Amino acid sequence: MSTNELTLTAEKKRTIALKITTYVVSILLAMLILSPFILMLYQTFGEEIKMVNGAGDNRYLEIKPRDHIITWKEFKGLFSEGDFIGFKNSMIVTCISTFLNIYFSAITAYAITAYEWKLRAAFEKFIIVAMMVPATVSTIGFVQMCYKYHLINNLIMLIIPALATPMTVFFMRMYLKATFSRDIVESARIDGAGEFRIFNQIILPLMKPAIATQTIFCFVASWSNEWVPRIILIEGESRTLPIMGSYQGSQLLMAIPPLILYLFLSKYIVEGIALGSVKA
Amino acid sequence: MRNKNHIERHYTKWGYIFIIPFVVVFLIFNFWPLASTFYYAFCYLKHAGNTNPEFLPSIGKPLFKNFTEVFKAKSFYSALQNTFLFFLASTIPEWILAFWLAVMMTDRRMHIKARFIWKLAFFFPKLMSGGILGVSITSTIVGFVANAAGLSAAAMSMNGFGLTEKDMEFVLSVKFIIIVASILLHFGITFIYAVAGITGIPVETFEAAEIDGANRLQTFFKITLPSMRPMLFFITVVSVVDGLGMYDIPSLFGAYDTTRSNLTLMMYMNNQAFQGSYAYDKASAVSLVMLAIYIVAALIVYFLLLRDKDEAKFKKAIRQERRELKRGI
Repeated sequence: MSTNELTLTAEKKRTIALKITTYVVSILLAMLILSPFILMLYQTFGEEIKMVNGAGDNRYLEIKPRDHIITWKEFKGLFSEGDFIGFKNSMIVTCISTFLNIYFSAITAYAITAYEWKLRAAFEKFIIVAMMVPATVSTIGFVQMCYKYHLINNLIMLIIPALATPMTVFFMRMYLKATFSRDIVESARIDGAGEFRIFNQIILPLMKPAIATQTIFCFVASWSNEWVPRIILIEGESRTLPIMGSYQGSQLLMAIPPLILYLFLSKYIVEGIALGSVKA
Repeated sequence: MRNKNHIERHYTKWGYIFIIPFVVVFLIFNFWPLASTFYYAFCYLKHAGNTNPEFLPSIGKPLFKNFTEVFKAKSFYSALQNTFLFFLASTIPEWILAFWLAVMMTDRRMHIKARFIWKLAFFFPKLMSGGILGVSITSTIVGFVANAAGLSAAAMSMNGFGLTEKDMEFVLSVKFIIIVASILLHFGITFIYAVAGITGIPVETFEAAEIDGANRLQTFFKITLPSMRPMLFFITVVSVVDGLGMYDIPSLFGAYDTTRSNLTLMMYMNNQAFQGSYAYDKASAVSLVMLAIYIVAALIVYFLLLRDKDEAKFKKAIRQERRELKRGI
């Protein structure tokens, strides 16, 4: 009995030591990671940037701390017109492409899981292969296609391709494999529901955690995407936020939507579902 | 039974219907560009906005001219080297950090509080990774790393641990700073997916391991990792795709560095195609090289992680049996 107690306390001691280490490491990492953002907030709200006339015709930017709380007029001055055009374009591209990505990935994953068609296994293999070859490899072909069919400056070229994202399909498939039950579908069929309706009204709500997780990742990927937009969006009117805008205003506009989305969706992120216990 | 089969067959057509949008868009926007990139690698296609590829043999030039040009360039080799260095040197510590933290956060015995805040904090850089904001955040982190490296180097040399400047060269180099910054910026993704994977494992499994007297390390390698294999595969793919295609952080140090210490394959391709030379043909050749690397990496990952050895053996046995049956008939 006494030896047992001894080992228990040793185990407890080790647990406490590990706990402290974890907290310290996490706090340090969090501080390191969050400090740039706080610095940015300070620069936006606490500092003034002025164009100052120096000796001769020279002009230079002077940065000095504000002596008062930022006023509404000054706040408005942080944004340029381009910021709002960029924000609007980014919003259009990101929202539509995220929706298309999530919905069609879910339906593709459902098609693989629920129906036993002939090419099913081959199609699943194909998804896995396609997922490991990122679209960036074919950038040249993509851009050439835009040149050829005069789709430069067209936001469509950023929206439609998001519909086919193998990585999202794989994730959804992984989730469906763990949670899908044929009985629900069959009972819905007996009640006379069509296949589309079964998917929209029964399967989609079941996939909420997977959808939430992937929505965050797709939204962020599309929102901060500048690899292709930099090349194909040349006109100012069609540019998205990451590649245009003033310094301070666009920083703020850039930061807000992903943050709000994350705060809304984070509680649905996949957790506690038997996701890992199934073979892929 | 026959009736049920009939019903199933009636529904299978929906499987095809549901994948039509995916397949069509994939063929047009992914497969077609890839195929044309393949073709351009064997063509003459230079100058900005040129959309008229000329097949190399038809203008009297050797078929593999673009490839030989690429393989002759010294900068290509430094790009190749850097890409692999950055990928390996950042992925391994990142994984150790992310998995360690994920295991600690999900350990039932430790009751780590405020998991929500940690997740948000670690995922933050990725959340904010776009445009000027991403640049300023990345450069702040880069600046911090550089400062820390410089200070520790100075402290060490003053204290005289027998260290000379040469020993500290690597720590002060651009490469080291890129590696550390990319670990910090990327490990949140791995962390979130790892937590999702670990929490998916039934609690009873861990309890059983605990009762059997397994320590934490044993539990991790013998239970946690094998139980989250699909997730592990997913995490690996994300790491490989992001790591080999690394672009944003290295490009902060300038597109043309004479020592080429920050050049990655992605940057090399970008420089060839969309900056200065506008050599789309050469860039296509580089893309194909990258494609080959991705395929090799994919095969390695697939056979290491996703393929179930027992299942493969089982399938093989079934196939053999069938063949023998056919022969018998």
